[in-house]
Amino acid sequence: MYAPLPIDPREALEEIATFQRKLAAGLANLRGLGEPAYANTPREAVYREDKLTVWHMRGEREPTARTPTLIVYALVNTVWMTDLQPDRSLVRNLLAQGEDVYLIEWGYPDGADRWLTLDDYLNGYLDRCVDAVRRRHGLEAVNLLGICQGGSFALCYAAMHPEKVRNLVTMVTPVDFRTPDNMLSHWVQDMDVDLFVDTLGNVPAELMNWVYLTLKPLRLTQQKYVAMVDILDDPAELENFLRMERWIFDSPDQAGEAFREFIKDFYQGNKLVRGTLAIGGRPVDLGLVTQPVLNIYAEQDHLVPPDASRALGRHVGTTDYTEQAFKGGHIGIYVSGRAQREVAPAIHRWLRDRD
Amino acid sequence: MADPAGDFLSNYRALAQQAWDTWARSWAQSAAPAAQPAASAADPLARGGAALAGFLDWLRSAALQLPSASPGQWPPAWDAGQPFLQAFAGLDQHGAHGFAQQWQQWLQAMQQGGLADPRQPLAPLGYTREQQLQQQALYEAMQAYLQAAARYQSLLQRVAAQGAERLQAQLAQRAENGQSPQSLKALYDLWVDAYEEAYAEIALSDEFRAVYGAMVNAQMRVRQLQRQQTEHWCRELGMPTRSEVDSLGQRLQAMRRQVTALQRQLDAAREAAPAAAAPAGPRPSARKATRKAAAGKAAAVAKRPLRKPAAAAAARGTARGAKRRK
Repeated sequence: MYAPLPIDPREALEEIATFQRKLAAGLANLRGLGEPAYANTPREAVYREDKLTVWHMRGEREPTARTPTLIVYALVNTVWMTDLQPDRSLVRNLLAQGEDVYLIEWGYPDGADRWLTLDDYLNGYLDRCVDAVRRRHGLEAVNLLGICQGGSFALCYAAMHPEKVRNLVTMVTPVDFRTPDNMLSHWVQDMDVDLFVDTLGNVPAELMNWVYLTLKPLRLTQQKYVAMVDILDDPAELENFLRMERWIFDSPDQAGEAFREFIKDFYQGNKLVRGTLAIGGRPVDLGLVTQPVLNIYAEQDHLVPPDASRALGRHVGTTDYTEQAFKGGHIGIYVSGRAQREVAPAIHRWLRDRD
Repeated sequence: MADPAGDFLSNYRALAQQAWDTWARSWAQSAAPAAQPAASAADPLARGGAALAGFLDWLRSAALQLPSASPGQWPPAWDAGQPFLQAFAGLDQHGAHGFAQQWQQWLQAMQQGGLADPRQPLAPLGYTREQQLQQQALYEAMQAYLQAAARYQSLLQRVAAQGAERLQAQLAQRAENGQSPQSLKALYDLWVDAYEEAYAEIALSDEFRAVYGAMVNAQMRVRQLQRQQTEHWCRELGMPTRSEVDSLGQRLQAMRRQVTALQRQLDAAREAAPAAAAPAGPRPSARKATRKAAAGKAAAVAKRPLRKPAAAAAARGTARGAKRRK
């Protein structure tokens, strides 16, 4: 079964030459560029502990929301995806809508953090971050906005400390970790996680990045750089590209014990939906999440398949559950043009109705 | 008598090779500064450069085959799966930190250090018996890893074969619909689609899951045994080992949890103190209110006097800046 190719060899040669010329001319633009800055929305550190910082984000207008929203990001990669650049910033868009936004920057674990458990992260760090925000506002409960693994954390936290969470927003959040299309989950099922963590200690960020790249090896290691050549002569686009590169590869190591628990209990045991999860001895029952929940998932998410997120609706205890699909991928939900128009306004409307 | 078709083919190939050589020279010059020791896999230029070199290799290979393409045969000789395997090989080299190369260096170092060649094991004897056993275990673990890695590679080979079949099928379908790719770039995009689809199908198979798990586990076993040997030498030299540092860290973290729990108890006791210090003999209604306040612990947390965050952090002695904070 072979097919003819109607590509004229002379035109093909010219195509190669054109590509080479474009590349040669554009390479100069790539040299000497500084580290692209993130949006750097004005912010104030309101709580620090070990390597984490809670930032209060400042908008151009005073917040109209009475209840502040604390963004809980994943331990993989950094929270600055939510504030990547001025015109692609979930944080800025939420502030512009009148929300009062805080976020947790987890920092970069090192050897001293190797024994941090999920209990330390959720009933320790996260709980104290929530308390810090509650104290600033004199409130019994705040809103949580959990992203990806941070969404799973926010769900667990809400189940364990329901009195401190007023509303819960989850974005691209895995809940059912064993859906058939979840490639990451598929790959770790036969892994001896104890041996893995006992050997490596903290899990190096480079190793995590390697795994992510191998999910789509040709697209992520070659095709996107081929596409980059087309924007080498556009300084603004090139800076955007390099900023995303920075975010992708400037990622923290994973604290060994927390990683061990997360893989065993969430990915392998799928305990969050089986109702058998316990963190620090406290049972985590999604049925106890009775706060209003907004669950936003991405339709083309290759890291957290839609079914993995949508499962929340079947397990959460609340009667006020809203599910919203976004046309895009795991990253596009923060940085695409569509995301700027749709995501923050949707979150704001939902929160405003429950403030 | 001259053969016009043959002349064209020769000229075309010569031109294509010339264009390639020219580009390769210019790339080498442009990329030279990035090849300094400071450059790493995290350097976008170095990484992107490898990707672009792979792409240009692909272009050249595809273009060289074009003149030979005929309706019944394309590609005639080009192994379209090879660029896929090369892309993966490059990724593995960075991601696994050249694990196989590391092993070779390790083996050589062991031999240069006067240790027995573990590839020719004898029954362990004498003073170094335990060390011999460790070396043997390490060697066997590495053999297990190499076997697992070979199974993984064979799956990637299967992706390469199935990717080629998918590409051919897509080209045939497009030809029937009059939508054949009109440029090398369009052909490249189709090639990527075909191989990614083939890869995803195999990567989600049970066989891949088992092989992947076995490879990771085998590599971890090797790393663990290497570490044990390294620690043995470190102890002989009086150097602290990773295991010792880990033990200290584990104990320290356990103590921090205890301190945190005690701090919580202390905070709760402080909150309860004003109630206990209330004037003796309160009226019955006031006693009731005091009991209520003590019972409503959760509510009390929210109602207690607010401490300024900076002061709270200082009180805990926790306002330590992260080294890599940005």
